[in-house]
Amino acid sequence: MESLFFYLFAALAVVCGILMVANPFSRNPVTSAMFMVLTMISLAGVFVLLHAYFLAAVQILVYAGAVMVLFLFVIMLLNLKEEEKRKPGWVRMGFGLVSAGLFAALLLRSVAAARNAPLETAAATVDGGVKPLGLLLFTEYPLPFEIMSILLLVGMVGVVVLSKKELK
Amino acid sequence: MNYGELLKLLAPESILALTLLLVLGADATFLSGRAPGLRRAVAASLTVAGCMGAIYWIFFFPIHGHLFSGVLVVDPLTQVTKQVLLLLTAATALLTLETAFTPHVGEYFGLQLLATLGFLFMVSSEDILTIFVALELASLSLYMLASFAKGNLASAEAGLKYFLYGGLASAFLLFGFSLLYGLTGETLLAKIAAKITTTPRDPLLVVAISMVLTGLGFKIAAVPFQLWAPDVYEGAPTPSAALIASGSKLASFFLLEKMMTIGLSSAVGSGAFHALAAGWVPMLAMLAGLSLIVGNLTALAQTSVKRLLAYSAIAHAGYALLGVIANSSQGFVALLFYVMTYGFTVLGAFGVVAVVERQTGSDRLEAFAGLSRRSPVLAGVLFVCLLSLAGIPPLAGFFGKFYLFAAILRAGAPSLGILWLVILAIALSAVSLFYYLQVLKQAFVREAPLELPFSVKPSTQLVLILLALCVILFGCAPDLLVSKLLLALKAAAPGLVF
Amino acid sequence: MIGLSHYLALSAILFSLGLLGVLVRRSLLVVYMSLELMLNAANLALVAFSRFNQNLDGQVVVFFIITVAAAEVAVGLALIVALFRLRQTTHIEDLNTLNH
Repeated sequence: MESLFFYLFAALAVVCGILMVANPFSRNPVTSAMFMVLTMISLAGVFVLLHAYFLAAVQILVYAGAVMVLFLFVIMLLNLKEEEKRKPGWVRMGFGLVSAGLFAALLLRSVAAARNAPLETAAATVDGGVKPLGLLLFTEYPLPFEIMSILLLVGMVGVVVLSKKELK
Repeated sequence: MNYGELLKLLAPESILALTLLLVLGADATFLSGRAPGLRRAVAASLTVAGCMGAIYWIFFFPIHGHLFSGVLVVDPLTQVTKQVLLLLTAATALLTLETAFTPHVGEYFGLQLLATLGFLFMVSSEDILTIFVALELASLSLYMLASFAKGNLASAEAGLKYFLYGGLASAFLLFGFSLLYGLTGETLLAKIAAKITTTPRDPLLVVAISMVLTGLGFKIAAVPFQLWAPDVYEGAPTPSAALIASGSKLASFFLLEKMMTIGLSSAVGSGAFHALAAGWVPMLAMLAGLSLIVGNLTALAQTSVKRLLAYSAIAHAGYALLGVIANSSQGFVALLFYVMTYGFTVLGAFGVVAVVERQTGSDRLEAFAGLSRRSPVLAGVLFVCLLSLAGIPPLAGFFGKFYLFAAILRAGAPSLGILWLVILAIALSAVSLFYYLQVLKQAFVREAPLELPFSVKPSTQLVLILLALCVILFGCAPDLLVSKLLLALKAAAPGLVF
Repeated sequence: MIGLSHYLALSAILFSLGLLGVLVRRSLLVVYMSLELMLNAANLALVAFSRFNQNLDGQVVVFFIITVAAAEVAVGLALIVALFRLRQTTHIEDLNTLNH
């Protein structure tokens, strides 16, 4: 059952990822944004398989809720249509494909080679519910939590300044 | 865990955060609508006061401690580094007074303070989660500082490029971190190091190390991760570029050194650099060599002084990497001395550029023509700073390089590869003299068509003179700083014995 | 049986897909989405490692990454909007004011 769901979500994530990055039918950023959200949602499914329930919820809330809305908002605000057709940079395209392909091969090789490492312990017992995560967050990691509050302030201050229209 | 203790250890950061709120609040309330010059003066004085307050606090209340077994590390070494970082920010804030590119004064100084907070946390943490969050805090602030001149296309582009390259770098860094965590099950650097020794060597470890190096290599602008630097230095408002070149460099190098010597200390192995899995030293050596070559040779062809400083910064990242490669406490001290004095020097240079840019509207080489007659003080500061960057004897840059070379030769054993790197570095220092002299030639020999004297704010003059004096002082008496760093490193021993 | 290496393989594929997008796409927005995909691949690796290392630290890290990513999206899109106001473009090749 688990493997069925894993392959389902994994396939969905990869296919949507491909359609987001290199959609043969549409160069419209809205399409890419939609497929990005689908990828994120499939990843939330994978998180559930890994017993990271809280993160699965956060993933959907933040990505499907906030990030996608922001992206769509900006696309609409700027009134972007199709990505302009320019002279197709075949060299760049080929270079990108080759380097990303090589990179993937390298990563997958390393993962395959690590298959027998002691990592592969079967009986995993941790559950990422709200309570254990919250306990860990506020006993071990209050400092990054505080830093995060400052980081959000950066976002607020900066974004307001940058996107405000100048009143002359 | 005790929040009181956390607050005590984080007192300098708290002072800075309060200052930040004060700066933002003052600018938004009783200063709103006032003349920009007044608002800048108030914001800068508040910023400087905050930084000085934090420095005094560190000086007079030297408490040390590790909280959460390493999530927060406050030891003499981090405290010295923080003091220097705060000094750099204070100097940057005063130099900002010389510019007038934005009406959003409070926010600009606020973001400088926020970036500094990020630097302080970067220095003070030995845990991959906190490191990541602190790094992002600093980076996000710097992205926005780079694109702060809103009407200016160059600035908007600089910020966006910085952001995109930076995002790519953090994705790599994060994947590297996740692999490190995966291989060891730990997030603390010291524990990661302990686990790596016991785990059999793994290809994933090599991938992890190279990804972490990619992410951090971006922050220090080492080749081949330097692509953003020239555009950002040139396009960003000059004070932002100065902060990126000084404070951000220092914090990132400190972080890199810690990451390598604590987190991956066992991946170096007992001198077995040839084994693939033990490979961060050769990787860094390659980055250093490339940075030296690309930085120094490309700088030769520049006509924009800010761009020239960017390529020189890339080259200097190459020199500083030698200290990391040495992988010894002497190397650590040499690295810190070098990057700290580099910070002072480059701030001085950027300060001069800021004035020239404001008065002539350009940072091209020609704009510096006749500087020695238009403003002898600026020309003098530029003279000292550029010669120090080139590594001319009685100045700090010379001693910094000398100390780095000594450290790497002593630590590197009779390894041929390392000797080759040192020879390359020395040869390219000679090359670098050429492009620094190009600028000085404009300033001292060439004549400008219309040589009106520059009006320079007294605060700017004071800061620039102080920076130049620092450069001379640390060049003539390097022991002042070196002995302090050595003592601090010894006192910080538990986490840093190597 | 699905093991750690399956999850890691999925994460590696997604990371490389994101890298591909960053390298070949020319629209700033799509490039930025691809960066998000790379971050998500790292998240997936962390969650999987957290499960198989039997501790929750990895999940806490992911929690922070998601928060940082949300803030970063706001900043990144603000930068893109700021550029668009000046240049009426979201095309990477138009970022050429600084290339001499």
